Amino acid sequence: MAVDAVVVGTGAGGSIALRELARAGLNVVALEEGDYLTSADFTQREDEMIPRLFQDQGGRTTDDLAIRILQGRGVGGSTVHNTNLCKRVPDEILDLWSTKYRVSGVTPAEMRPHFERIESDLSVSLIPTEARNRNNDILRLGVEALGWRGGQLKHNRVGCRGSGFCELGCVYNAKQNALKIVLPQAEEAGAKICALVRATKIVHDGCEVKGLVAEATDDEGRVTATLTFRTRVVVLAASAIGSAALAQKSFVPDPSHLLGKGLRIHPGAVVAGWFVDDVVGDKGIPQSYECTEHLSFEEGSDKRAWITTAFAHPIGTACVLPGFGAAHMRAMREYRKYAVLTAMLHDESSGEVYVGRDGRPKMRYEMNAADRKGLAKGLHACAEILFAAGAREVVIPGIPPVRLRSAKELSSVDYSFVRPAGLPLTAVHPMGTMRMGDDRRTSVVTSEGEHHHLRGLFVADGSLFPTSLGGPPQIGIYSFSHHIAPHAVARARRV
Amino acid sequence: MVSFSRRRLAQMLGASLLPIGGVIAVVRSTGYELPLVRRGRLVVLSASEFSVLDAVARRMCAAPAELVAPSVDDVDVVGFIDRFVATMNETIRTDLFRFLSVLEQLCPLLIGSVTRFSKLDPQSQDSVLAKLEAHDDGLLRGAFSGLKALIFMGYYRDPLTWPLLRYDGPTIARAAGGP
Ligand SMILES: Cc1cc2nc3c(=O)[nH]c(=O)nc-3n(C[C@H](O)[C@H](O)[C@H](O)COP(=O)(O)OP(=O)(O)OC[C@H]3O[C@@H](n4cnc5c(N)ncnc54)[C@H](O)[C@@H]3O)c2cc1C
Ligand code: SF4
Repeated sequence: MAVDAVVVGTGAGGSIALRELARAGLNVVALEEGDYLTSADFTQREDEMIPRLFQDQGGRTTDDLAIRILQGRGVGGSTVHNTNLCKRVPDEILDLWSTKYRVSGVTPAEMRPHFERIESDLSVSLIPTEARNRNNDILRLGVEALGWRGGQLKHNRVGCRGSGFCELGCVYNAKQNALKIVLPQAEEAGAKICALVRATKIVHDGCEVKGLVAEATDDEGRVTATLTFRTRVVVLAASAIGSAALAQKSFVPDPSHLLGKGLRIHPGAVVAGWFVDDVVGDKGIPQSYECTEHLSFEEGSDKRAWITTAFAHPIGTACVLPGFGAAHMRAMREYRKYAVLTAMLHDESSGEVYVGRDGRPKMRYEMNAADRKGLAKGLHACAEILFAAGAREVVIPGIPPVRLRSAKELSSVDYSFVRPAGLPLTAVHPMGTMRMGDDRRTSVVTSEGEHHHLRGLFVADGSLFPTSLGGPPQIGIYSFSHHIAPHAVARARRV
Repeated sequence: MVSFSRRRLAQMLGASLLPIGGVIAVVRSTGYELPLVRRGRLVVLSASEFSVLDAVARRMCAAPAELVAPSVDDVDVVGFIDRFVATMNETIRTDLFRFLSVLEQLCPLLIGSVTRFSKLDPQSQDSVLAKLEAHDDGLLRGAFSGLKALIFMGYYRDPLTWPLLRYDGPTIARAAGGP
């Protein structure tokens, strides 16, 4: 099949690239390895939705099994099950990219129109304070009692019923995401979306893109057909993990040896506080408040923790609570009485994506000493917040678990458990494996998103980011794709 | 002497040994019998894998004495895992099976026993699991938490367990009917 452009992946980055290419009048097709599920398919059950919505049925981890990596798989990508927080890439980070990482065209002033466009497309608004559930209110109370910096967050929901099941897909269709908003706009402009089609190889001659090979599968992953697309433009938007892996499998030129390197993931861990009165953290908008007291965007700073809430449904909670057997079940009985916070690390550690023997992406990632310290400080801060808000007991689910009865006991906590597999770590924000920049020795793609050495290969997802963001990345990814798309359009028109 | 060999064993059980779990599984997977109700009904689990998972699930989901809680049989934890594992990608499934054989055949050595895990008494099984959860080797700790996730998914997915937590379950009618 001959097309003007192929977009690989239909999440935050892919949806916008697809829409913009289609709106430019180009004949464009998007390939998505996961299924096309809509609100009618979501059941609000962890056992049913996690395997269907997440990569590797929710079992994706770093190769040392230390960090669980949650990532979307399906039309709409990770935007289908994300928790809808919307923050722009901080100005300090954009300035850093512009100066130190030599990325052109991405200063705060240059990116503002892209952020504004995306926020308008996705109806981004401040989460009403009356929609704050008790878990988030506990965070606010603690932050205010300590005199720390914090505030209400923004989101992309309209008509939210506060069911609390965001991470399993919204049955009420309240999420203004790629699935509901952007992809239908792309289809309206003439784009085609092929679900259950996995891109397997970019065809090229070492200088320019010639096409793409893909496999159509059934919903159990069995290959049913091989498809070949003739095209001069391929836009990679398969996430920072999928895009780098596909480029590696396709032997895309990599003279700088940076392809797949620089993986950042914002690893996070939770701290739980037990309250006398029910918290009922599973109901309502899951995350609506943040604490930024311990977050600085300066490189090398020891303030690296973004703190928000992180309540889970029963299976998620059971996995994170330490131990097993009778003691574990006793703790589970207190499900309604826990408030749960997470410290997410604005990481400087750098991991790597590579292709496993089975052809699937694999991730190597280990937190360096400074990041481990930064995360420990974040966990400490979470515990302080919970006590300040009235928690009677605080549990940090390390191995061994730390149980505290008062803030005074915090000074004696030994954080040596912050090490690989020493506490349950989860990461939901992979970034940085095909970073952008003007210098071909220090970046994989140009500041316009085109590969330095392979004409017609564009990247339009979280892979582009030279550093981590220290906050939720979706608005940044949608917006950077919006920034890249005109260059892909221009290339497709030129060939 | 004993403590020396246990330390050595702890080292051996780490990353380098997990990959040979598959070999152990082939060599020592005899002597297992499935309960009658399971015969011919399992999708991917062998009799030995079933026995290990069943033993681990019983300890992980053991209720405190003061509580009446659904048993792993009531909510068919291992049957669920069998169906779930059947849909997993091949690599992850193979790793899981290897880990199960390491757990069954070698991990009892962590408490100085040569008895298979599934044949140990409950208290000894708890000791093995506790040692694994806190093991020096990150890979073993990681594998343990993967197994724990699978078992708790099998248990807490079932609406029978939700009253224990005062969890209301889905807000929509079509999902409220159960699995
Ligand atoms: C639980 C969770 C909560 C989150 N909450 C928030 C939040 O509140 N706010 C926020 O800003 N961010 C949040 N995020 C992160 C955010 O959703 C992602 O950063 C963002 O969606 C990433 O965009 P992307 O385009 O890089 O990749 P994705 O959105 O992940 O899309 C990539 C797509 O590519 C597909 N793909 C991969 N390989 C191939 C292939 N070879 N062929 C075809 N298709 C392929 C995948 O199946 C996937 O659908 C959350 C993420 C998770 C997991
Ligand atoms: S909380 Fe709102 S957005 Fe989330 S699943 Fe419920 S209705 Fe949808």
